[in-house]
Amino acid sequence: MKKNVILAILGIVFLVFPLVIKSDYYQHLIIIALMWVVIGSSWNLLAGYTGQVSFGHAIFFGIGAYTAGILFSKFGISPWWGMLAGGIASMLIGLFVGWVCFRLRGPYFALATLAGGEIFRLIATNWESLTEGMVGILIIPSFESKLPYYYIALLLAAGCIFAIHVIMQSKWGYYFVSIRENQDAAESLGINTTLYKNVSLLVSSLFTGMAGAFYMNYMGFIDPQVVFSLHYISIMAILVGIVGGVATIMGPGVGAFVMVGVQETFRSAFFGMAPQWISEAHALVFGLLVIFVIMFLANGIVGDWGKIKRNVFRIKASS
Amino acid sequence: MKKIALTMFAFLCAVCLVLPGAWAAESVKVGVVLPLTGDQAKFGEVEKLSFEMAAEEINAAGGINGKTMELLIEDDTGRPEVGRSVVEKMITKDKVVLVGGGYSSSVTYAAAGVCQQKKVPFLVNTGSADNITTSGWDYIFRLNPPVSEYSGAIESLFVEVVKPQSVAILYENSLFGTKGAESFEKTCDKLGYKVVLKEGYEHGGIDYKPVLIQVKQLNPDIVYMISYIMDASLLMKQAKELKLTPKVFMGGAAGFTLPEFVTNAGIASEKVMSATLWHQVLPYPGAMDYYKKFVAKYNKDTEYHGAEAYAAAYVIADALKRAKTFDHKDVKAALAETDMMTIFGPVKFISYGKMKNQNRLPTYVVQWIDGNLEMIWPADRATKPIAYPVDWIKTWGYSSTAQN
Repeated sequence: MKKNVILAILGIVFLVFPLVIKSDYYQHLIIIALMWVVIGSSWNLLAGYTGQVSFGHAIFFGIGAYTAGILFSKFGISPWWGMLAGGIASMLIGLFVGWVCFRLRGPYFALATLAGGEIFRLIATNWESLTEGMVGILIIPSFESKLPYYYIALLLAAGCIFAIHVIMQSKWGYYFVSIRENQDAAESLGINTTLYKNVSLLVSSLFTGMAGAFYMNYMGFIDPQVVFSLHYISIMAILVGIVGGVATIMGPGVGAFVMVGVQETFRSAFFGMAPQWISEAHALVFGLLVIFVIMFLANGIVGDWGKIKRNVFRIKASS
Repeated sequence: MKKIALTMFAFLCAVCLVLPGAWAAESVKVGVVLPLTGDQAKFGEVEKLSFEMAAEEINAAGGINGKTMELLIEDDTGRPEVGRSVVEKMITKDKVVLVGGGYSSSVTYAAAGVCQQKKVPFLVNTGSADNITTSGWDYIFRLNPPVSEYSGAIESLFVEVVKPQSVAILYENSLFGTKGAESFEKTCDKLGYKVVLKEGYEHGGIDYKPVLIQVKQLNPDIVYMISYIMDASLLMKQAKELKLTPKVFMGGAAGFTLPEFVTNAGIASEKVMSATLWHQVLPYPGAMDYYKKFVAKYNKDTEYHGAEAYAAAYVIADALKRAKTFDHKDVKAALAETDMMTIFGPVKFISYGKMKNQNRLPTYVVQWIDGNLEMIWPADRATKPIAYPVDWIKTWGYSSTAQN
């Protein structure tokens, strides 16, 4: 009951937010955070719940973004159709990636996906006739106002979290967790582990691809180093998951807001209120935050919420 | 509880100490987007210092009709999507009247898209890929020549002095590198030089030997490189180690003219030539003064990137002084009518060919001689005679018997 109330309040806050805060800049930050909610949650489905840690989510993000971009710039198809097409294209690539990489387990799977991301980046860089190479694809975004983007991102994020919630309540969810806990035991119980690992990957790639296509629509510019970036997409997806809480429904959502918030706060030197040198240290702060979370909150903010509450209360009691 | 209250109080005090800057006298806000962190931070730094120096002088001389010109310099971290959000923030949150800066081509191109859509004038001073001014955007102005014209002076140098047969082109896989390589290849075709190799390399690499060995086997007369800072030094260092000895090492500006190039590459930088857009000895009013002031103030060298930024600040101030109001439309109109002399050369935005609002300037060739960047071409502007042909083995300090 209490949970539903919190969810309802959260929903209303998000729905009303852009009507109250009119600044494009803050809306932009929330839109980016919502996009990361989608990517982080999809990563979490595959890595957190199914135990297949992917270092290559940039593959799906990039494929989604490029599908939307190429459909628009070469064929004049509205990039909003591209969002659907981007998700589907990314699923097809996901099928291929799964076919190759699911022969491997654990760290080997992670390494294979990492290599996969680099391969796709190189293809996008060198296949100039299709992708324009390093020139990138630039489209003029369809709306000037941020509002439509905001609600689309919100819908996508809510849809993604809801879908994952439903999946995890279903039989599939149990299959996924059993694969994570012990793949051989799961296999011996009659679970088709290859099939369900692929199912998990397909759902994950669908949402990540849609997030990629959304990015194309919203930012209006992509190049291979932006959307196939190991550092800024694949690793960031992992960090969002870890900081928020692996294998929790709301974890990546919280993680996305924390990461985007921290990044922007420091990049802009506390929104211009602190001296400039702070912004030069933003990468450092990012690193420190991750180290802190891994050392003290190994289950992420949501996973270790009880611990955080306890410690905060203790501080209050002593003062 | 007391502790918390105390910390809150301390925090409030800190905020109050920092805030007053925001309530300074009436000012005109100009956004400047530059890479201040990441791989291109060195370029961003020299431009930032030059922008700041120029702004101080402009404000000391009365500012914009009595108002201070306030520069809002923000970091794009060298990434197009960050550049876009920075510019967006400057326009919507800080309400800047005009955007300046723009270092890497990729970032500039992406940011220019935003400015055009929001109808805010953007004076680009470094981002050089052609498509920034060939996209038909009327709010985008460019001070520096496009990358396809960087090789202007190189052409005449080759025709008159070097007379090469074959050329190898190495470039970074980026918007700037790809476009620069493409247009240089066209130049070579036109002049009848054979391009034996045109190879892009990945940004952030550390081992260029595989491609350099390939170059060595092909033995071209010219090795033309389009690189940012770290790769420029590494390419030359590794070429030295491999004893790769073409007639000329030619850099396509950017990484090859920064003082850091010598610091990083050491002796391997000696006698390397590069295209450039500016040199302090050019007979433009204030060019040498700027150079001397910069060196005296910051105790370090400056080069064409700094000059671009310094000149851009003056062009911006000039346009703002003439603008009827600080409305984006009026500022744009004022920029379009710019016709002034700067330390970077005459500035006038014209449209020619596919270019729109493009300033047209000649380019030059410089060479590192005894650790100094000397102007060598065109010959009538030269500060030192061109060092050519070069005995690389001797220059690099290998004893001549040890070669083979």
